[in-house]
Parts: sequence; C-alpha cells; structure tokens
Amino acid sequence: MRRINGRERTVLWFGGALLFLALITIGGRFLAEKAMVTDFSRKNLAPCPAYLFGTDWMGRDMFVRTLTGLSMSIRIGFLAAGVSALLALILGTASAVMGRAVDSVITWIIDLVMGIPHILLLILISYACGKGFKGVVIGVSLTHWTSLARLIRGEVLQLKEAAYIKAAGKLGMSRFKTAWKHMVPHLLPQFLVGLILLFPHAILHEASITFLGFGLSPEQPAIGVILSESMQYLAMGKWWLALFPGLLLAGTAALFDVAGESLRKLLDPGSAHR
Amino acid sequence: MKRRSVRYLSLLTALCCSIMFLSACGGGAKAPQGDTPEQTEQAEEASVIVAMGPNSEPEAGFDPACGWGAGEHVHEPLIQSTLTVTNPDLSIGYDLAVDMKASEDGMTWTVTIRDDVKFTDGEPLKASDVAFTYNTVKESSSVNDFTMLEEAVAVDDTTVEFHMAQAYSIWPYTMAIVGIVPEHAYGPDYGRNPIGSGRYLLKQWDKGQQIIFEANPDYYGEEIKMKKVTIVFMEEDAAFAAAKAGQVDLAYTASAYSDQTIDGYELLAFETVDNRGFNLPAVPAGRGKDGAAIGNDFTSDREVRRAVNIGLDRQEMLENVVNGYGTPAYSVCDKMPWYNPSAEVTYDPEAAKAILKEAGWVEGSDGIREKNGVRAAFHLLYPASDSLRQALAADTQNQLRELGIEVTIEGVGWDTAYDRAQAEPLMWGWGAHSPMELYNIYHTLDQGLAGYSPYTNETVDQYMDEALAASDLDTSYELWQKAQWDGITGITQEGDIPWIWLVNIDHLYWSRSSLKVAEQKLHPHGHGWSIVNNVDQWTWQEL
Repeated sequence: MRRINGRERTVLWFGGALLFLALITIGGRFLAEKAMVTDFSRKNLAPCPAYLFGTDWMGRDMFVRTLTGLSMSIRIGFLAAGVSALLALILGTASAVMGRAVDSVITWIIDLVMGIPHILLLILISYACGKGFKGVVIGVSLTHWTSLARLIRGEVLQLKEAAYIKAAGKLGMSRFKTAWKHMVPHLLPQFLVGLILLFPHAILHEASITFLGFGLSPEQPAIGVILSESMQYLAMGKWWLALFPGLLLAGTAALFDVAGESLRKLLDPGSAHR
Repeated sequence: MKRRSVRYLSLLTALCCSIMFLSACGGGAKAPQGDTPEQTEQAEEASVIVAMGPNSEPEAGFDPACGWGAGEHVHEPLIQSTLTVTNPDLSIGYDLAVDMKASEDGMTWTVTIRDDVKFTDGEPLKASDVAFTYNTVKESSSVNDFTMLEEAVAVDDTTVEFHMAQAYSIWPYTMAIVGIVPEHAYGPDYGRNPIGSGRYLLKQWDKGQQIIFEANPDYYGEEIKMKKVTIVFMEEDAAFAAAKAGQVDLAYTASAYSDQTIDGYELLAFETVDNRGFNLPAVPAGRGKDGAAIGNDFTSDREVRRAVNIGLDRQEMLENVVNGYGTPAYSVCDKMPWYNPSAEVTYDPEAAKAILKEAGWVEGSDGIREKNGVRAAFHLLYPASDSLRQALAADTQNQLRELGIEVTIEGVGWDTAYDRAQAEPLMWGWGAHSPMELYNIYHTLDQGLAGYSPYTNETVDQYMDEALAASDLDTSYELWQKAQWDGITGITQEGDIPWIWLVNIDHLYWSRSSLKVAEQKLHPHGHGWSIVNNVDQWTWQEL
C-alpha cells in the first residue's frame, strides 16, 4: 500500500470533518420532531442501549435531543458565520479602497464593536431582537465580523501598493472594478479560512447565550439549553445529562477548527505538503 | 502533528474552562460563609439554620409597606406583631387584637388591642401606631392593594377604627399580614433597621447571604423556644449540598431531589394550597382596546373547557411531575374555609371525548379535532425559568393529545406572559390565605372582563360583591362558595370552568432528624418564608 502524502492526509482530514458535520446537521434535522417528545414513563434513565445518552426528567431522549441541538447550533453557526464573513469582506474591502473618510468610519465601528465584550453585546442584540432563533442569529452575526474585517482591510491595504493593482489604476480601470477583478480573487483563500474558523466561535457563543437564557426557549433542543438544564441535576448524580452533550459540543467545535486549518494548508502552497 | 494535537488539547481545555465558568455564573449559588463555626456542629441548643431560595430575601428589607409579609407571597412578619393571625385551619385568631367587630353596613371596623405590648425599644405599642401603620401602607404600599381602606383612626390608646372605602368582610385576613410599625421610629431606612413588637429581633443582615434573628426577651405571647434563627439564601442545588455537608438544619428542596437521601436528615413534605393550573380564555378571539390579541376561538367553547377539565389525569400528573409529592387541585383555594367541594371532578377520558364529539369537534385525518375550520389546538405557555411548570405543560400536552387536542408548549418570560395569557393559556401558580384571590381571578374589572384571563359571569360577580359586603366572615364564606357553584351557574365543571386547576405542590424540606418542626398550616404560593411562620415553637429533641 502506498503511503499517503501530507497533502492527501490534509484532504482526508478536511473531507472527514466536513462529512461528520454534515451528518450531524442532516441527522439532527430529521430527528427534530422526536427531540420534542416527552414521555414520563421513561424519565431519568441512565445511558443504556435504547437511549445512548440517557433521558432527562421529562423522559426526553438525550441522544436525539443532543443531535438536534447540535444540528441547530451548526445551522445557526452557518447562517451567522456566513453573514458575518460577508459583512467583513464588504466592510473590510470598502474600508481599504474607498478613501480615508470611509476608512476611518469603518475602523471606528470595528473598534467600537471590539471594545464591548462579545457576550454582552450578543445578549443585548439578541434580547432587542426578541430572542429566539432570529435574535441569536442576528446577535452572533453582528458581533463576529470585526476581526476578519480588520484582517481583510490590512490585506487590501497591502494589495493596493502592489504593482499590478497600480498598473490597473493607471490603465484607467475604476476602483470598484479593480477591487472586484484583482483583489477579491486574491482575498478569497483568506476569506474562506476566516469563514470556517468563525464557525466554532459562532457555535460556542450560541451555546453560551442559550445557556444563559437569552436565546431559545427551554423546550427547544439547543445545546446551551441542554447544558444549563443539566446543571441542576448534576448534584443529584445525573451526570449523563451534561457529559455527552458537552463532549459532543466540544468535539464539533474542534472539528470545525480541523476543517479550517486543513483548508488553510491546502490553499497555502507553502504548507500544503509539509 | 504534535503541535497540532497540543493546540486541540488547549482548545478543549479552554472550552471546559468556559463551561465551568458559565456554570458558576448560572448557578449563582452562595455557600454559607465559614464565619459562623457553631453552625457546622449539631447547633447549640435553641438555634436553627434554615436555607431558602435567593428570591426569598426581602430586597427592600423588613418594612410592611415594601412587601415584608404582605407582599406577593404572604407570611407572618416575625419581627412585627399583627392584629390578627390565621389559625391552622385558616380561620381567624388574635395576636394584638382582643376584640374586633364590623358595623352593620361593613363600612367601619373597630378593633381593640392589648395594652401590655411594648416595642423592642421600650416604647409601648398604642392604637396610634396601628393607625399610623395602616395609613402608611395605604399610601405607600407598592405590592398590596389597600384601596378598600379609607382611613385608620386611633380612638383611644387601645381602640382603632378602620373607615372603609367599600365594604370588605375579609378585612381580618388583611390584618393578619400587616406588621405594626412604631410611629416614633419609622423612616426611610426602617426596612434595614426594623423595630417591632413581634417574636424576633433582627440581629444581623448580611445582604445576599444571611439574616439572623434573635428572640425578643420582652415578647408578650407564648414562650419562644427557638432563641436564634439564621436564614441563609442559596439555590436549590447549593441548599442540597449544604444539607449534605451538615451546614444547615432545614433546607428547602424540590421534588426532583426526592429520590435522594441524606444521612441524618429526613424529607419533610407539607401540604399546600400552592397550586398550578392554566387559564382558558373564555371569549372568542378578537382585539382589545389597545389592539392586543384577546380571547381564543377554541377555548371559548364551554364544552371544550369541560372536556379538558375531566380529560386530565391529575393523579398521573402528580406521579410524573412531582414524584407524588402533592395533591390534585380542583380550585384555586382547595381546603380553605371558602372552598366549594363541588369543584372536585373525577378523571373520565371517555366522557371528555363524548363531550367534544357532541359539541361538534370531530377528529380529522391527523387525529386532531376540528369544527367549522377551527382546529382543536392551542399554545400552552409556561414561565421559561420554571422546570416544574414546563413538565406540567408537557404532561398536559401528552394527555390532551389523547383527546384529539393539539397543544404546543412554549416557554415565555414574565415580561410578555401576562399579555399573551389574554389569548393563550398560561401555566400559573396561585394559592393565598385570603378569598380575595377568587375575586382577582374570576371577578370582572372595569373593562367587563376578568383581569388575568378574559371571562365574565354576572352571577359570579354578584356573589363575590355580596361576600365582600357581608357583615360577618361565616356568611361571607358561604357566599364565596356560592360564587364558585350555586347549583345553577359558577366556575366549576358544571359551570363555565374558565380555569383548569391541576395540582397543589407539596413544599419539601430536608430537615435534621432531631429537629422538630411545629405543625404547619397549609402553605400558600411561594416556597419561602411560610415555613418559619411558627419557628418560635420548633424544638430540638434527643435522638
């Protein structure tokens, strides 16, 4: 058997991580109905073959509930990270190419948002938007774009001094056309990696905000809700309510990190074969 | 490869740390500080440490005008004396008062008080202090309604007259919760430095932590057996842990913990009128004056409400949700002197289905009933922070599904709950030591509908008005009962049944085995101060 090389191994890691996450997302989606079912005849069961993760005080199947919760987290993360990254791309590019006035306004906004603790701003926005799914997505989107925007701005500022961009300007290309034709393709790898690395942040913040009770309502199968409920049962020795969902959440966040890192390596020729 | 795994390890560690950090915030538990070493050992004689929930700590201090004793959750004020008290059977007894009577028209109450009572600062307690107290709470109470009182007047040192704005036959129940404050020592900081004539003195208050009471050496009543009472405030899980560690003598707990055991402690369960139930808006869907949704097309059908009431298995609910620690509830005032036992119903799912069918609600293809395009479905709201009510709502959902009714449960905050309950059922908790609760729930307000859930019945209103105008309590009890069911109409199964009552929740406590907690009267809503109503009569016994 041929030894697989570094690049192939990275591709495998990337594909495997994506596949696993896709499975959780799709699986949870199909189990959504089952996750809401309460059945008091099977309450407080420890993990067993029929209920891999046990059941809680209302007889809900924790395995199904955890999967659905993670699936919801990933979808929220997907939406929020997407919106966030797009916002970062637009604002970061605009900041770099649209002149000093625009630049200082956008930089000021970035500093403002970064200056307020994440979780505080998140709670505030989510609460103002009426909590729920919508509130969490808007909250996470509006707080997570700043560092990527700053990165892209710096990158564009550097690009602006590159000879080929200057040449395009001298040849009479408009600023927008230059940005779109010559800069965005150059930024794409940075952007994609940034996008994927936003996921774990978004998911963990979604979990913490629902944990604190500012996100989804408690009958919803969300990972933060599950963890906060499990807290009060730990003292009674019902460890399975917290352990498995917590591990799976940690695993999911770590897998996104794996995917992001692998992608960065693949797109960066210098490290692809290391 | 190595570097990468180190990074993942650190990511995981960070995650675990953040989870632990969050849990520390979420729990908010405060363990009692170790600065009271005598607490850990079997307490020195005649001293007791009680753990209550953090919400029980009186934010505004021990001022009756700010809700101490007379607030949302009523209890005896301990530091102050009251004119009357409620007996174990919820009839009225005397504390400061030696006699009371209402005028024929109910517009004047004359109360004679003892002449041998002194405040703890040595000043005698006079009728003028009583009048001052009532005029103060009428003016400034933010938590209780005193609009029925016009003015309190001290006639001489031992007689006080209450001039009423409207007849109010159950005034003795109000007098049982208002602690008498001294006119000469009352001011804005009274809440922090209360002076009263009651069984205990406030010795020390470490806000957010503990309150220490000491027996009043000059108390005029029965001998105080428990000389020192320490109240600590902590979350349920912390209270459980504190009992396990032997740091408290009595700790409140919830039914979820009832399958646990603690060495040297026993689980005490006290019956209550702390009920849970949900409202069924009794008018068709529409818009109120301010444009908010009001009423519900499904629950406005009286037959539907009747079917729901007998279609719910309360006994099963008790087993499922509170491990059997509770009693079935059929009204907001079970076992009170003003309760009408005809509210009781037996569980009969077949009859419930028959009622629905007869009323025209027939099953559709998905098993959910329908009538003229209206689906037999409603949202059942519950306060998001209350897992017990969530479980009750979920069980209701499962049980009503059997009848062909689709219930969707939804956790809501109290900021929106009251408004939404006008159109959608909400899982409530009630139960007070006063018939006024019947009035608050079922009597119509100025807009022509009852306040918490839209409902109106003129006959019911009339009985309650008459009950308030009655000249003595016994007559009023009878009228309160008639308001519930008079043989023709009312708010019970045979009547309009605008509220469904499910269970009365037992109040549970871990109690050190050698502690003898005195007999409790039925606890009202609120798992807090009621337990220490008679803490002066608790004793330690040799094991």
